[in-house]
Amino acid sequence: MTDTASTVKVSRSNRPRENLTGWAFIAPLGILFILFMLVPILWGLYLSFTNQSLTGAGGDLVGFDNYAEALADPDMWRSMLNTVWFTVLSTIPLVVISLALALLVNTGLPGQWLWRLSFFMPYLLASTVVSLIWVWLYNPQLGLFNAILGWFGIDPVTWLQDPDLAMLSVVVTTVWWTIGFNFLLYLAAIQNIPESQYEAASLDGAGRWRTLTSITIPQLGSTTIMVVILQLLASLKVFDQIYQMTGGGPAGTTRSAIQYIFESGFTGFRFGYSSAISYIFFVLIIIVSVIQFRITARRSA
Amino acid sequence: MTRSRQPGGGPGFSRRRMLTGAAVLLGGAFAAPALSGCTQAAASGVTNLSYWHLLSGGDGITMATLVADVEKELGDVSVDQTVLAWGAPYYTKLAMAAAGGRAPDIAIMHASRVTGWAPGGLLDPWDLDLLAEFGVSEDTFKPRIWEKGFTDDTLYSVALDSHPFITFFNTEVADKAGVLKSDGTLIDTSTPDEFIDMALEMQAVTGQHGLSWGYLNDGAQLWRLFYTFYKQHGADMVLETGKPAQFDEDAAIESLEFMTKLVDGTVAATNSDINNGIAEFAGGKSGMLFSGVWELRTLQDAGVPFDATTIPTLFGTPAVYADSHAFVLPHQSNPDETKRRAAYEFMSTLLKGSIKWAGAGHIPAYLPVIDDPAYAELLPQAHYADAADLINYDPPAWFTGSGSDFQNYFLDAIQGVMLGGTTPQAGFASFISRIDTLLSKPNPVTA
Repeated sequence: MTDTASTVKVSRSNRPRENLTGWAFIAPLGILFILFMLVPILWGLYLSFTNQSLTGAGGDLVGFDNYAEALADPDMWRSMLNTVWFTVLSTIPLVVISLALALLVNTGLPGQWLWRLSFFMPYLLASTVVSLIWVWLYNPQLGLFNAILGWFGIDPVTWLQDPDLAMLSVVVTTVWWTIGFNFLLYLAAIQNIPESQYEAASLDGAGRWRTLTSITIPQLGSTTIMVVILQLLASLKVFDQIYQMTGGGPAGTTRSAIQYIFESGFTGFRFGYSSAISYIFFVLIIIVSVIQFRITARRSA
Repeated sequence: MTRSRQPGGGPGFSRRRMLTGAAVLLGGAFAAPALSGCTQAAASGVTNLSYWHLLSGGDGITMATLVADVEKELGDVSVDQTVLAWGAPYYTKLAMAAAGGRAPDIAIMHASRVTGWAPGGLLDPWDLDLLAEFGVSEDTFKPRIWEKGFTDDTLYSVALDSHPFITFFNTEVADKAGVLKSDGTLIDTSTPDEFIDMALEMQAVTGQHGLSWGYLNDGAQLWRLFYTFYKQHGADMVLETGKPAQFDEDAAIESLEFMTKLVDGTVAATNSDINNGIAEFAGGKSGMLFSGVWELRTLQDAGVPFDATTIPTLFGTPAVYADSHAFVLPHQSNPDETKRRAAYEFMSTLLKGSIKWAGAGHIPAYLPVIDDPAYAELLPQAHYADAADLINYDPPAWFTGSGSDFQNYFLDAIQGVMLGGTTPQAGFASFISRIDTLLSKPNPVTA
């Protein structure tokens, strides 16, 4: 108690100088934040009201024209829906399977390091490497998956070219690639659950299933909320692996919102229009975040 | 990937780059001395050119050799090469550099992309008089190739080559199948059915496929074959901003129907990308391969016995898809006259030595090189040199050309047709509707 009191006293007597020190400490980050986040965000907002071209031409104010065009653009809506669909398809397995893997590894299997390493290792690979490996695995003529199907007399499947399968194939790759991160978060959380609770449960005669549903999973509640939030945001921002594996095809069924923004601005030269779509996407992410926040707030209340 | 040759420094790490790097590391404090070092090099009589291109792999190695040859020959010009990835990465960066007015001194573009760039002020025009001084003029190029460099009456690009889509054929397979003439060339086929019959003869020999070609997830390959057959109908495609696309629907549907007949699993594989196609042909498991001349090196390295020829005329009019690698002067706000002149000198010297470029498979654009007896000895290159008379570039529009989104839109609409899920009519209609949407918007290059 005395320690705390003296700290408070010191901080009060030195407030101006300490404030200055505080500002100095956050200044580098603050300047970088303003230069590389705030300015581009506001500049992008301004551009979304112009017909600015990548080539330097244009730049005249056009009011809400870009927004009106975007809202009537079927390709824009399609890329947004594709992104939401990817997020739904990827988030569920990335949360559920990572939890299952963490629980399995935590059962005390021998060779723990090997399991942890093999689940986490893909996460360390670059997206280009992952895409390259999986494009080969999915290759209709020479790929491993069709070779396996061939043993059972099943015809080759065009994993990345079939409009019904392409998104699912990309999701499988994404789960394989990124599950290690969620897995580690869960593993750490599981290992933080006090052993005494399990001891008490076993004294009361609780079985494995009862222990899992009444102790482990409830104790992981806050970790699950965090994993879901991080995963939703990561999945909404999907771009790399899709761009490299399918280029957004077949027939636009895997084109993500970010890819459409990129194409409109950088290969289609229309910076103004591209900025307008990014702001529409920004609003979509805010809506998802608010819904997410409401749900978790209710749960924790 | 950078190469440079400066007095006192060997090839490899450029002195200017090292000094710039050091300046950056030291927080810019030494930027001024670094720059003055550069000026000294210029004062000593060596002009340093920055040169951007998108040639990687075998093409990249050949280009590096050509550049080294030019540097050796000229003595007073050194060239810094910057190589960027083919397609969107290259064109995006070049457009931004030109828009900012701080572009490289000279660059390579696909001739088909120049149309979209020139009216936007991204490129500076070539001076015809100065070109003539260096031996480059209208009469040193085939008309189609020379004219492609013009937008209205201004010359914006000078072609290094033309690289058409061609037929490679396995000479052993063709011989066994009895589809060779006495002079060793392929028998003439002038209708789709005759071509399919020939392919089936070869299929009977290989037991796998008669023809290799790949299109999966590859709009470029799909478009190149389609446009070859479409143009063989004598049909045109006109894309003007503000108007719907003008095209010949019957020619398009007939071309697509023929292409789906080819990928029936016997003549050619149903689900194949171009890498599978090349591997199949290189492994002797098919008799022919439709692809670009740039595959020549790969096939030579594979050791398969092959020759090459133009794609047969199956719909009446001799025609084939092609593009050209062409030299452009990306827009600079304040061009340095010495460097500009050096760029002309560099370009013309490189053209004159482009027999080496033909080694990579491309057809040199500079006529004196093709007319040289050394070129006639280059086989199979000389066997398809006539393709340069039949070539057709993409229909001009700001969004068409090699590595453009146009080819991706074609893939989006037509891949389903090839795989059998969509009718050619529906697929082509969806492609045209996408193009009409683009044409209905103002051209962003000149916005």
